Amino acid sequence: MSAVCYRDPRAALTYLEAAFGFEISMLIEDDNGNVVHSEMRFGNAVVMIGHEWSEDHKSPLSIGGKNTQTVHIQIDTDVDAHCERARAAGFEIIVPPETQFYGDRTYRCRDPEGHIWTVAQPVIAVTREAAEASTGLKITGWV
Amino acid sequence: MTSKVYVALRVKATPARAFAVFTGEIGAWWRPSNLFQTTPRAPGRLAFDDGRLIETLASGKVFEIGRVLAWEPPERLVFSWRQASFPPDLTTEVEVRFEAVGDETRVSVEHRGFHQVPADSAARHGFPDAALLARLAAYWQDQIAAVGARVELR
Repeated sequence: MSAVCYRDPRAALTYLEAAFGFEISMLIEDDNGNVVHSEMRFGNAVVMIGHEWSEDHKSPLSIGGKNTQTVHIQIDTDVDAHCERARAAGFEIIVPPETQFYGDRTYRCRDPEGHIWTVAQPVIAVTREAAEASTGLKITGWV
Repeated sequence: MTSKVYVALRVKATPARAFAVFTGEIGAWWRPSNLFQTTPRAPGRLAFDDGRLIETLASGKVFEIGRVLAWEPPERLVFSWRQASFPPDLTTEVEVRFEAVGDETRVSVEHRGFHQVPADSAARHGFPDAALLARLAAYWQDQIAAVGARVELR
């Protein structure tokens, strides 16, 4: 499970639902209305949406847009439509959908605080041999 | 302002059925917890009865957990919530919503005001607010999961 830091986690809860269809599955607010903890669910996956809760937990917005980890979303339906939904929600499309040598069609986008998200849909069944032949890579662990 | 603990899960049923199971079969699906004991006795059987949420203990005694504040099937249910270990003047509030999503229902629970449980109360187990509210969230997640299991029985 990933925990993603935001300066404004409450806004993130709203735009992550609008862009990706994530649903809030847990939201804890203290008696001042601050978001203490929150989780969003997408299928069987859960992501935590938090604030910058220590000096070492920062949103990309606070560190020049840099990302040190990114979250990958695997879907089994129309990735192009998914991308348009993210665009409509105000996400920047960094790389539009394109089909990769390993058979997934992927796009990459940036949310309003600068987190990069990758979204992938398997569209072609590719064997390890075919992937090795097309790329010249030695691939281990491809079942 | 007040603290809020909100949790939501999808269950495989219509809102009407989810509401009916939540309210009518709470005695069957409810999962008691040692952390959020409604009474100091062994857990009894819960029921919504005549505008109240009650727990009937093995002795036959009835403890009133709360009063129904809104009964709006199939969308919304609000009731007050107090545990026997709460101070007499403290009540908290629970709002349950049932929202259709495709052919499923998103059941959400928002429990408001639990931070008011005093520091020395047995109901708090010595937890600071953040830990107490996180446990309360997990408690309600378990309850909704139990509703989800129950609606699939038919």
